[in-house]
Amino acid sequence: MAEESILSDDFIRQLMNVGEVDILIGVPTHNDARTVGAAIHAIQAGILKSFPRERAAIINTDGGSNDGTPDIVMGASISDVHRSFNGYTLRTLHSISTQYSRTPSSELALRTILSAADLLRAKACAVISPESTTVDPGWVESLLRPVYRENVDFVSPVYRRHKFEGVLLTNLIYPMTRALYGIRLREPYTTEIAFSNRLGCEFLLQHRWSQGSDEDPRMDLTINAISNGFRVQQAYLGERTQSGSQSRDLVTAMRQTVGGLFSCLEPSFPAWSGVVGSESVLTRGSEFDVTDGPLRVNRKQLKQMFSQGVSELGSVLQVILTAETLVELQSVASADEATFRLSGELWVKTVYEFAASYQKSVMNRNHILQALVPLYRGRMFTFLTQNRVASSAEVANDIENLCLEFERMKPYLLERWDGRK
Amino acid sequence: MLESHDPLWYKNAVIYQVHVRAFFDSNGDGVGDFQGLAQKLDYLSDLGINAIWLMPFFPSPLRDDGYDIADYWSVHPLYGTLDDFKTFLAAAHERKIRVIVEMVLNHTSDQHIWFQESRSSRDNARRDWYVWSDTDTRYQSARIIFIDTELSNWAWDPVSKEYYWHRFFSHQPDLNYDNPAVRQQLWEVMKFWLDLGVDGFRLDAVPYLIEREGTSCENLPETHAIIKELRRKLDEQYPGRMLLAEANQWPADLRPYFGTGDEFHMAFHFPLMPRMFMALRLEDRKPITEILQQTPEIPKSCQWALFLRNHDELTLEMVTDMERDYMYDEYAHDKTMRLNLGIRRRLSPLLEHDRRRIELMNGMLMSLPGTPIIYYGDEIGMGDNVKLGDRNGVRTPMQWSGGWNAGFSTGDPENLYFPLLQNPVYGYQAVNVLSQKRSPHSLLSWMQHLIRVRRSTPLLGSGLIEFLYPANHRILAYVRQLDGQTILVVNNLSSAAQAVELDLRRFKGNVPIEMFGGNLFPRIGDSLYLLTLAPYQFFWFRLRRI
Amino acid sequence: MRDIIVGELTQAAYEIFRGFAHLLPRLIVMIVIVFVGWLIAYIVRAVLRSILKFAKFDRFFERAGASQMLNQAALPSPTELLSRFVFWVAWLGFIMLGINALGIGGLQEHVARFFFFLPRLVVASFLIFFGLLLASFLSRAALLAAVNANLPSPRVISVSTRILISVFVLSMVFEELGLAQQTMLVAFAIAFGAVMLGLAISFGMGGREIAQRFLEDRLVRGRRPVKEDEPSPF
Repeated sequence: MAEESILSDDFIRQLMNVGEVDILIGVPTHNDARTVGAAIHAIQAGILKSFPRERAAIINTDGGSNDGTPDIVMGASISDVHRSFNGYTLRTLHSISTQYSRTPSSELALRTILSAADLLRAKACAVISPESTTVDPGWVESLLRPVYRENVDFVSPVYRRHKFEGVLLTNLIYPMTRALYGIRLREPYTTEIAFSNRLGCEFLLQHRWSQGSDEDPRMDLTINAISNGFRVQQAYLGERTQSGSQSRDLVTAMRQTVGGLFSCLEPSFPAWSGVVGSESVLTRGSEFDVTDGPLRVNRKQLKQMFSQGVSELGSVLQVILTAETLVELQSVASADEATFRLSGELWVKTVYEFAASYQKSVMNRNHILQALVPLYRGRMFTFLTQNRVASSAEVANDIENLCLEFERMKPYLLERWDGRK
Repeated sequence: MLESHDPLWYKNAVIYQVHVRAFFDSNGDGVGDFQGLAQKLDYLSDLGINAIWLMPFFPSPLRDDGYDIADYWSVHPLYGTLDDFKTFLAAAHERKIRVIVEMVLNHTSDQHIWFQESRSSRDNARRDWYVWSDTDTRYQSARIIFIDTELSNWAWDPVSKEYYWHRFFSHQPDLNYDNPAVRQQLWEVMKFWLDLGVDGFRLDAVPYLIEREGTSCENLPETHAIIKELRRKLDEQYPGRMLLAEANQWPADLRPYFGTGDEFHMAFHFPLMPRMFMALRLEDRKPITEILQQTPEIPKSCQWALFLRNHDELTLEMVTDMERDYMYDEYAHDKTMRLNLGIRRRLSPLLEHDRRRIELMNGMLMSLPGTPIIYYGDEIGMGDNVKLGDRNGVRTPMQWSGGWNAGFSTGDPENLYFPLLQNPVYGYQAVNVLSQKRSPHSLLSWMQHLIRVRRSTPLLGSGLIEFLYPANHRILAYVRQLDGQTILVVNNLSSAAQAVELDLRRFKGNVPIEMFGGNLFPRIGDSLYLLTLAPYQFFWFRLRRI
Repeated sequence: MRDIIVGELTQAAYEIFRGFAHLLPRLIVMIVIVFVGWLIAYIVRAVLRSILKFAKFDRFFERAGASQMLNQAALPSPTELLSRFVFWVAWLGFIMLGINALGIGGLQEHVARFFFFLPRLVVASFLIFFGLLLASFLSRAALLAAVNANLPSPRVISVSTRILISVFVLSMVFEELGLAQQTMLVAFAIAFGAVMLGLAISFGMGGREIAQRFLEDRLVRGRRPVKEDEPSPF
């Protein structure tokens, strides 16, 4: 198995000491000393509460932290030697760590976790990130119970979000994934997931792993799960706050998520091309939970960046988009703030044309994704403006309408895909 | 008494627990007896044990298997006569086997003459020999031990119209140890048997001797005072004899029973035993190491008594609720196997007749710090019969052969005190001494070898223990040390093969010599010592610097 | 005198015809070589074109943006371009061989020099091709980065990038070809140095505080500055 070469001798030795497990929780880190302690303790508490008899292990995959993150993780082992837990436990709970590289890489982190889960024959595996500062013991139960006890293969979380949080997810990733693959998975790209041994091993074999690149395979894992007949569920996890150590750089985010999604489209074409409509996924707990409240956003700047993008990137956009779409975007860009509106239909058309151009590699793919960023800002502006005083239900309705638009216009994508115009 | 120059003989003993009536019937009445037991002493000598602990053989209505004593000075007629006992004792001593006798101090049968007199009237001279009360509300903090059968620690006596105190069955009234006459009398009883030559007593139910209002009526200071007094007299008049405490308590609560070496010589380590079974099922050494970490040090002259099973249920009193639930689910999924917060099954059925696990558990029994006690029949892997009720399922006749009555008795099968086990797996045709003696690879032969190796060195009985904590939690590893000698013990608690790296660097230069085969293993060097073990395998290594 | 003139003329004509007679076979050989060379070059072009089409050569350059660049320059596709280049190089080589076969002394020296120059020409061609490709790629990258970072005048940045890289590439090409080496080198050094100095001065004077904050955030506190202008994309 070629992937074992990414596991160091020391890590193999640690895995040997852990042995076969029923539950494995992977915790990818990079300089998360501030938050990882609380996260690990919450995970431990969750395991001890929900799976006290099961053989479990916490595996930290670290991308070269220099703040002592791995030591914090390893110090949390519960055994006859380590007394990190005040209560009583039936079993040893190993908490081990490995440095997969000197620089962080989502791909290597996940690959290491998958490899460890494969070697330890873990029946159920979850990935929980310490970037989430509200990790709760209940997450362990919510994510893992369906996988461990009910033969579900993939569990995706649902969070309570502010109505304006995660616009990229609600206005692109979620609706497009839903329209293409016919599954209403609210968080196709997320830092918390759970999956079965079967799915994990298959993904480990099938995915084209590059060596320590910038790619993030989480999107691919989700697509793999929903397009290959695996049993999928959602679990409501409640609130999630992020530590801010994660970069909110939009370009990187676009590359990781939208890039990941676009990359999956070609290999999974047979799976999504024939799908019409979409269906719900069994969700434990609330399927959609949104909070209201003020949010400080520089909407003016969003609009300005959109307009500037459309005007300055004309030479790039004309290669990616059709002439009509470009003209429409230019028309929108010229509107003032009061009348500015990047409609759902135009947005969907734009996204689909980008997807098709990405597939055809009309130019460097990274450049294609970067060109989408200012256009997304325009969409964000429209979404924020038209929902400024909307209630949670109205926001949900708005997103649902956008999803239906994505579904309705799917043939347009297929036409551009097949036609190779 | 066996002449011995070693006052600490019990530290290196291997004890065999047996009930006279279950071992061998010499007269065909269906019940084992002392003459029969004497005839089987060669078997026990071959097995390699050097001490026998006899369960109660006194006259008794036998409503609690002899723990309800009706006469302390004699032998129950079913088991023979006092002379038979003396003959047996002499024969045992001849074979250098010591004899430990059960002594129930806490209570008697309600058929005992003392109780009969005590209850006859409130003015009787022996009235105060038992604990009487007008009401049943005293000592409310005391728990009920036999929760499956008793509702209260008080029972109403219709004869004297008062309540009497009983911590066990209602037909076992507690003696009143606040009465000096009682204390003196019981000492006389003990003296009687000591004069005959017994080498020690297992004192049953010692925590409960004294009652005080507002307490749990267990482990009270006055109880310890009584024991100290007993011990003082014993040491003065009968040096070299041993007292073994039966006190089902947490290690910290057990520690006082050793005193400063002026109370009991030995005490059962009750909390360790269920944790050995738990560790095996969990495939995790944590339960064992944690209980031993909590076990306090005891005086050098004292010793823990270790056991896997005995005549009672596998007690789950000294475990947490989570552990108890786990044990029930794993070892007693059939609820009829559960009794009084315990599991009434023998060793082999508990371990699913798995030879490897039986060997591993016995290996740990023989190498952990303490004196091992083997329950009769476990050396051949006897089974049990829970349908016999109470704890009788683990007290069936010894299976000597596949023939008539399993070679136990020449009488009619219907007359046997309990029916033989018949099923194809554990029945006497499948499991018996005769067939196992014929094979050098049988469990019996293996047990003989194990005991021989155990007794080849005093280190395992008297040595200190230090746990190694390898990162692989499925491996229980420790070193035993005494007078500069070291034995390394490594146990694989897992059902799968394991690799383990042990930090033996401070033993650098030593050569491990495996004690069963005598073969050399690679010399210990600077790096971690790698060992691989098959499922449930264990190693004993003597470390030699050559 | 008339006889001498006739005789000399006759001699001259004889010399010419003799020379021509010597030359004619070589000329025929040259023509044959050139013709055969053309045939071979044609076959090589055809084979190369097929191989490149099979290997999807154009698709690879599409991603790099080469196709676009060539389209803008009204040039054919990379496959066609390379095939034709190879054709011409091959045929030119045969032409040179043919000329060599004529056996004309001075020409032979030029032919030798041509063959000596040929590798450098090939390298220069590759340099200019890939250099311009890189310039195109990086200028687009700069444009996108500037737009997404909301910098003023992103197009200026993009064009400047392209010019800078193109100039750099051209100077490398001239150096490779051995044309006005020193001139190009000095001119480039002056221009490049001036640009860098200008940038440094303007950044040092105008961006000091920004630089200080940036370095503090990255190196001292080890965290990235959090943008608060936009909600989280996730």
